[in-house]
Amino acid sequence: MSQRNRLATGGRIDRTRPLRFTFNGVSFQGYAGDTLASALIANGVDVLNRSFKYARPRGVVTAGADEPNAIVQLGATEAGQVPNVRATQQALYDGLVAKSTNGWPNVDRDLMGVIGSLGGKFMPPGFYYKTFMSPASAWPKYEQYIRKAAGLGRSPRETDPDIYDHMHHHCDVMVVGAGPSGLAAALAAARSGARVILCDEQEEMGGSLLDSRELIDGKPAAEWAAAVVAELSALPDVLLLPRTTANGYHDHNFVTLHERRTEHLADLAPLANGRRQSRARMHKVRAGRVVLATGTHERPLVYARNDVPGNLVAGAVSTYIRRYGVVPGQRLVLSTSNDHAYRAALDWHDAGREVVAIVDARDKPDGDLVAAARSRNIRIITGSAVIEAQGKKRVTAAVVAAIDIAGFRVKGSTQELACDTIASSGGYSPVVHLAAHTGRRPVWRDDLLGFVSGGVPGQIPAGGVNGRWSLRDAIADGFECGVRAAAETGLTAGTFTLPTVAPVREGKPVALYQVPHTKAAMRAPKQFVDQQNDVTAAGIELATREGFEAIEHVKRYTGLGFGTDQGKLGNINGMAIAARVTQQSIPDVGTTVFRPNYTPITFGAIAGRHCNEFFDPRRYTALHGWHVERGAAFEVVGQWMRPWYFPRGNESMHDAVQRESRAVREGVGILDASTLGKIEIQGKDAREFLNRLYTNAWTKLEPGKCRYGLMCKDDGMVMDDGVTACLAENHFHMTTTTGGAAGVLDWMEMWHQTEWPELEVYFNSTTDHWAAMTVTGPNARKLLTELVDIDMSAEAFGYMDWREAKVAGVPARIFRISFTGELSYEINVQANYAMHVWKALFEKGAKYDLTPYGTETMHVLRAEKGFIIIGQETDGSVTPEDLGMQWCVGYKKPYSWIGRRALTRPDTKRSDRKQLVGLKPLDPQVVLQEGAQIVLDKEIKVPMPMVGHVTSSYFSPNLGHGFALALVKGGSQRIGQTVYLPMADGKIHAAEVVSPVFYDSEGARHHV
Amino acid sequence: MSEIATFNAHPTVAVRAESPLAFSRVTVATLASAQGAGVCIRERALLGHLILRGKADDAGFRAGVESALGVSLPLKMGPVSRDDGRGVSVQWMSPDEWLIVVPAGEDLATEQRLRAALSGHYAVMQVSGAQTLLELSGPNALEVLKKSAGYDFHPRNFPVGKGISTTLAKSTAVIRRTGDTQWELIIRRSFADYLFRWLLDASEEYGVFVAR
Repeated sequence: MSQRNRLATGGRIDRTRPLRFTFNGVSFQGYAGDTLASALIANGVDVLNRSFKYARPRGVVTAGADEPNAIVQLGATEAGQVPNVRATQQALYDGLVAKSTNGWPNVDRDLMGVIGSLGGKFMPPGFYYKTFMSPASAWPKYEQYIRKAAGLGRSPRETDPDIYDHMHHHCDVMVVGAGPSGLAAALAAARSGARVILCDEQEEMGGSLLDSRELIDGKPAAEWAAAVVAELSALPDVLLLPRTTANGYHDHNFVTLHERRTEHLADLAPLANGRRQSRARMHKVRAGRVVLATGTHERPLVYARNDVPGNLVAGAVSTYIRRYGVVPGQRLVLSTSNDHAYRAALDWHDAGREVVAIVDARDKPDGDLVAAARSRNIRIITGSAVIEAQGKKRVTAAVVAAIDIAGFRVKGSTQELACDTIASSGGYSPVVHLAAHTGRRPVWRDDLLGFVSGGVPGQIPAGGVNGRWSLRDAIADGFECGVRAAAETGLTAGTFTLPTVAPVREGKPVALYQVPHTKAAMRAPKQFVDQQNDVTAAGIELATREGFEAIEHVKRYTGLGFGTDQGKLGNINGMAIAARVTQQSIPDVGTTVFRPNYTPITFGAIAGRHCNEFFDPRRYTALHGWHVERGAAFEVVGQWMRPWYFPRGNESMHDAVQRESRAVREGVGILDASTLGKIEIQGKDAREFLNRLYTNAWTKLEPGKCRYGLMCKDDGMVMDDGVTACLAENHFHMTTTTGGAAGVLDWMEMWHQTEWPELEVYFNSTTDHWAAMTVTGPNARKLLTELVDIDMSAEAFGYMDWREAKVAGVPARIFRISFTGELSYEINVQANYAMHVWKALFEKGAKYDLTPYGTETMHVLRAEKGFIIIGQETDGSVTPEDLGMQWCVGYKKPYSWIGRRALTRPDTKRSDRKQLVGLKPLDPQVVLQEGAQIVLDKEIKVPMPMVGHVTSSYFSPNLGHGFALALVKGGSQRIGQTVYLPMADGKIHAAEVVSPVFYDSEGARHHV
Repeated sequence: MSEIATFNAHPTVAVRAESPLAFSRVTVATLASAQGAGVCIRERALLGHLILRGKADDAGFRAGVESALGVSLPLKMGPVSRDDGRGVSVQWMSPDEWLIVVPAGEDLATEQRLRAALSGHYAVMQVSGAQTLLELSGPNALEVLKKSAGYDFHPRNFPVGKGISTTLAKSTAVIRRTGDTQWELIIRRSFADYLFRWLLDASEEYGVFVAR
């Protein structure tokens, strides 16, 4: 298909590199250097979308990030689908496939258009609220229908095969925007020796220089841009990031950038040098100073039917002609409030197409550009504006009338000018988003007719965003700001001379936003303010009339600025209309809040590398490889990958756990206990510190002995537990729960540093230094005797003793402690030797059927013994006494300890507190649900007082029935009573309250 | 009664020791040679690592440490004290904490020398099994660090010789610059697989070689 709007020459596209692409199933051709929008314009495609609410046909309006209409669904493959891509910012590549975001069944014949055209009057702001408010239960149905009708793109249904990443940066000067002032600022800062990052959202750096009519140093502006970029790219401390949007400006000059690294190349990221590369990268920049050189967005005028395809902002017309070599039509009418927009007519004329007229709202325009238009014999209609566009899927004519701006009325008669394109300009809005992200409100400047930065510490606005609009001023301001930024980070200015740019005299613009119509706004054809959200001037009027006068309310009632474009094009016009109808000034109305992100970011870029296996660190023990080889099922415990159970063959989890549990009680089992937290404590006050930290006493624990300890928080509630061994008089080895290790060490440091700095003691985590293996069961001693060099007899090595020994030749500390209730030894070796010892144990253990067991069996066995697990039997509201562990609380210790005061309050002494008990279901096959609520009455009645809940529950092969631990109000007084557990499925289980110790209550099995 | 129980963790018989990366070294594929690799990772496994705690403002403590180790005791964050000939380095970690790295098997002897030279309030703890040292080098090593940590690695802020402790991905690492494009990372055993795989993943686009 021919590119009928393409010029034979000119523009920055490469006509020797044609590219094929598909839009809505039709194949087209464009050139390298095109955006999707410029290529579609070149091919004469007018209708790109249907509008969100009224399903009106819509075409390209701008050439940048402010585009409200040309929003497409990109992707040749299902996995590569990207919603809501601005065609004006999407580089064309060979094979690109895009579809309209809206339009059902298609953009040219849209069913909703029928409803929309009928519905104009019936779909005022608040239509959905008003119409679908009741009954509330029907909302899901309504929503389904509304979403189908509206829709704003869709996410892929397949997993994204691309990868994304993050990168951190530090620099002296971060420059946002590589237009005239941004390039100048970056150059000035870099020549001053600053570390500079310069980012720009476009494919090519240069911004407005790439479509400027002006000369710099006597040469086309784009050549100066290229020279600056070349100089910057040769400097080692300058990072240039094209295709990179500064999306968020956060506190302390922290800026987040979104770099699109492959989206200009293909649907999915292609390999580079045979290797995967990230599709998008989020840069996290910490900058000394941020130079904001984001330029301006041109405001369109708000006139009737200004959304018909063929209505563009004036600057975009120039951009398409000069940068992309396409003219978006044949016959142009320009409606403007200022001189600068005359460029569009000049460029149009110079491209050899007809400028029907320039309609200028001012009575006596007289700047240099006006003179240039006059010299080309272009008709200029003054004191007037386009008040209405005609046409359905393309502009066919402009209705022009003289207007009285102050009186907001049309003067005299109207005339129709036949044309296919209307360009409009109502002035320029500085792009202040990044100056407002940290909460600073922008400030209105009457001389500019726009909001500028309210001033952010460390941020320096330069050029257009600073109200320095002419090319000459923008470059000068850029240099000045670059020098200032470098100086403020402690550097001295480098040398350079300003390039010469001839001054262009521009006349004063007039303030014009909504153009008056012959009919009142409520009766005139729709005058669109926010095209993406179908917000009209009449809609804003209606909102204010219904009482939504604050701009934030207007926004939420009408949808103004809620689109993926966040109202870049329409917001200021909307505020101006709200100001007019509420008879306030624009600054009185104020702006809505600007929030990150400036343009939409793919979730992949936000997630970066932190997904899949890197979502959360996985911590492995030294024995992990063995567990994997043995086919262990794993569970995550505080980031550790712990073997959960070791299935044999096709064994189910239940069967594996039953087998493992029996093996420990009847033979010998082994557990990888390396994940337990370990803290080494050294110092002459180590013992005293333990006395204050734990609830129980440590004064008399001798070297060679271990003791179980409970730790409470200062509120008296149990926070952690574990066994601590006295290694030597001033030397202890503490163990904590797996998940609590880091927290306990922090807790100890905090008390030591803030409360007891006089205690001479140091702590350090040794969790990773030691690998720990628990050998447990009646045959544990027999097995170990074969491997150790010490006397393992009960007399020489008693319960709660520890001994130094060599196990399979490896030096070890063996702790005779038991969490299973069986004869049990915990072997600790330096982790690098753990695999050798573990394998040696299995070699010798074969004849005892040494059985590896996981955390599930560990839980069953400890629960049979009534041993608690922190976080299961405790939840931050459980005292040692609640757990029946009074024996572990030393009220008589001479110095106070953490939690003592709270534990002597009446509340913690109440006899009706929830206390730990055992539950034995009356039906032995029943395994109660953990978390199930406990009641005292079998009959359901309301209210139903709940007296507790199940904390742990298993089926025990050793007991031959299900059993549970539970916290029950006054539980220790209820032993022998029957309680009930109503379940969600209507069943009610009955259980007897029993002692929490189900197995070997006298402890005979581990005292052997 | 002895005050501290020293412990020789190393067997006197031949026993196969496994570094924290023993599992991932065999399960992750990388380039076969260093040719064309932008990033090279080499594990310096099984070294001796110790944590020293003590009072920096105690002249006796400082002199004792220096006599025992034969290198100066750094008193603030910055250059790591090293004697590469003997394979000894001392890094300031916090106002009362230092990381000492010594050759494989020398951890107990180092501890004993320190204990002989020191008195009063101090602590020496072996952590040789708890961490491992990776050398990260190559033209793109810096990019990999920038992908992984928020610290400023520019030579102005991070000259050769300096050592720090910071976050690395979602874990932590001690990071030392040993050359323009050479770095040492000391990482915890239990996070070693995660970090090793992270580094390989972050290095993939540059080509990564893992030295044996």
